[in-house]
Amino acid sequence: MASDDALPTLKILLIGPSGAGKSALLMRYCDDEFDPDTAAATIGIDFKIKRLAVRGKPYRLTLFDTAGQERFRTLSTSFYRGAHGVILVYDISNRASFMSMERWFDEAKSNTVEDVALYLVGAKLDKASRNREVTQEEGLALAEQHGASFCEASSKTSENVRRPFVEIVNQIVQTPGLLTNATAKRRSGTVVVDSTTNNGYFSLPNCAC
Amino acid sequence: MAMGSVSDTLWDVVICGTGLQQSLLALSLSRSGKNILHIDPNDYYGGAEAAFNLQEAESWVDRLATEDKGFFRSASITKPDVAGLSFPRAYSLALAPQLIHARSELLSQLVSSRAYRQVEFLAVGSFYIFKAPSGPEQQPSLVRIPSTREDVFSTTAISAKAKRGLMKFLKFVLDYDRLEQRDVWKTFAGRPLVDFLQEHFKMDAELKTYIITLTLSLDGKITTEDGLSTIYRHLTSMGHFGPGFAALYPKWGGISEVAQVACRAGAVGGAVYMLGAGIKSMATATDEVELELTSGDMVKTKLLVRGNESVGDGPSISRLVAVVGVLYLTTMATSNSKEVLSRALESFLSAMDHDQVPQCLYQLYYEQAAGVKQSRLDELTIDLPGPSLSLSMDDLLLKHVREAWKKVASDTADDAEYMIFTDREPVDDDDELE
Ligand SMILES: Cc1cc2nc3c(=O)[nH]c(=O)nc-3n(C[C@H](O)[C@H](O)[C@H](O)COP(=O)(O)OP(=O)(O)OC[C@H]3O[C@@H](n4cnc5c(N)ncnc54)[C@H](O)[C@@H]3O)c2cc1C
Ligand SMILES: Nc1nc2c(ncn2[C@@H]2O[C@H](COP(=O)(O)OP(=O)(O)O)[C@@H](O)[C@H]2O)c(=O)[nH]1
Ligand SMILES: [Mg+2]
Repeated sequence: MASDDALPTLKILLIGPSGAGKSALLMRYCDDEFDPDTAAATIGIDFKIKRLAVRGKPYRLTLFDTAGQERFRTLSTSFYRGAHGVILVYDISNRASFMSMERWFDEAKSNTVEDVALYLVGAKLDKASRNREVTQEEGLALAEQHGASFCEASSKTSENVRRPFVEIVNQIVQTPGLLTNATAKRRSGTVVVDSTTNNGYFSLPNCAC
Repeated sequence: MAMGSVSDTLWDVVICGTGLQQSLLALSLSRSGKNILHIDPNDYYGGAEAAFNLQEAESWVDRLATEDKGFFRSASITKPDVAGLSFPRAYSLALAPQLIHARSELLSQLVSSRAYRQVEFLAVGSFYIFKAPSGPEQQPSLVRIPSTREDVFSTTAISAKAKRGLMKFLKFVLDYDRLEQRDVWKTFAGRPLVDFLQEHFKMDAELKTYIITLTLSLDGKITTEDGLSTIYRHLTSMGHFGPGFAALYPKWGGISEVAQVACRAGAVGGAVYMLGAGIKSMATATDEVELELTSGDMVKTKLLVRGNESVGDGPSISRLVAVVGVLYLTTMATSNSKEVLSRALESFLSAMDHDQVPQCLYQLYYEQAAGVKQSRLDELTIDLPGPSLSLSMDDLLLKHVREAWKKVASDTADDAEYMIFTDREPVDDDDELE
């Protein structure tokens, strides 16, 4: 089997307001876990790695959580660099979270490449019958307006949890420009700093091999 | 951190500023379990080491025009009347375009702390010297400074005699810190390196210029001790991460990229981040500091770490950032340094391609004063040194960060484990097939 490093690597971000359910979605998708009443899921997650085969071809997904930096909208430009796809998450039981999505779309678009794949998720679908504050049609309309795909999902019941990931990868792999820089493991010209060579022409006595 | 207001917590430490040092401190504390609030008065990351797109550069220049404090002054933007400029976000102009030598401790810390994966580094191979045309019929040129054995052998730029001299010197430097070698340069230690090159190695003017350029000293007045250690760093860095280059440059934003990635590591560890929130006023009690933030929040902390904002007594620099690709030109600030840099840019561009001189599409000029070089620690506050003006990453700064870390984490910290972390994400190996 091909080693992990050889797989094309896709960088996918989850963004959106605090409490929307981003970390829960990530945990459910990657670890099939759901923790009902803590916000602790956010802490300690840098990114998750998940392998996924789409159209018979395996990919290595690196899924980046916001690490709480969405709370005061302090995500950095470096966070967005090199992203192939962005999943924008709001909470269908919270109108304000939906209303903030326009700004999240703006931020995502202005910090990424033009043909980045965008996906809008209405989270907490299990609350639809009693606490829905945003209709499915509204979600779909907003997504279409921004050229994004859309679905509603519940991390609690697992309903639709894999859909956003599978579909965004599908979208990415069909965008040729996006995929080129995923296949070369590192873009040509960048230096690997976690291994050293001994090519120095003036190597020191104690490190000459 | 819990979701309450930032005023509800007694913070273990509030870090103010997101320049390199403060950000590295956040990274170093990212597994400590401390309650950390990390704020910055600016609405961007990086402080004096930030990187701007063209729009941000313009607001920065406008803002500097109205305030009379901080390290930066005389900032201006010139847009020559030529077509070809891309959209503002296509550019990233770094206020601290520092090279990082391959052997810099910063790189080992980024690797051992696992923060390096999110930074892309470009190789910087060679240092060149501009040679003015030697006669009316001649063209200006850029001459590469030979700094590997192979380079010295193959260069046609210098005589055989000069080659031998250069080789002798480079070999000497590799060993310069050994006891018996120390005797050779000890008496020159505090004197200019040029004197040592002249008197001990009998170098001609050209070779001396080569060597001084390798030190990246802005005024050429570097001491023998500092000069030898910088050249040593250069030589031992050569080839460290691959053949042909000694230094790296973080792609896109220079040092600002490193700062942002370090802050993200802090956030992953639970630190709370606020931009556009500076310290408006502070009151100290016996064992805590109360801060009023410019955002309106009142916060309490056991310790405050910030950058020293005072101007130090070192010389200032002038910098011209020119969009032709992106070029950074730096010199010591003088009454005419702006013209000097403009002329240098013109000369450089004409030496790059004589037939079709590249056009400069945009220029940002500013002057930057030196910061204070020492840190200051007391019971409740730590002032880290001001930003460095040098052209390459100065590892001394890392020492101050480590000191601050010790003070914050003294109860739980193991010095031997400083900045050594494991990867957070377990590699998931269950395959899914669609
Ligand atoms: C042995 C060796 C030595 C080298 N020595 C040098 C050297 O001395 N000097 C040197 O310049 N290169 C040197 N390089 C090349 C360098 O390391 C990079 O590989 C090269 O600059 C990347 O070019 P690119 O066209 O692939 O990338 P591009 O993405 O086209 O970038 C080209 C340059 O522009 C900058 N840039 C790109 N986009 C932006 C933006 N939006 N805002 C601001 N800056 C931007 C990048 O940081 C980079 O410096 C060396 C490479 C090797 C292998
Ligand atoms: N009922 C329900 N609650 C959810 C769901 N997803 C997340 N939550 C809860 O919503 C809160 C915030 O979720 P979290 O993932 O931390 O949001 P984040 O800030 O966007 O990362 C937590 O208490 C979660 O348990 C869901 O699908 N259904
Ligand atoms: Mg979260």
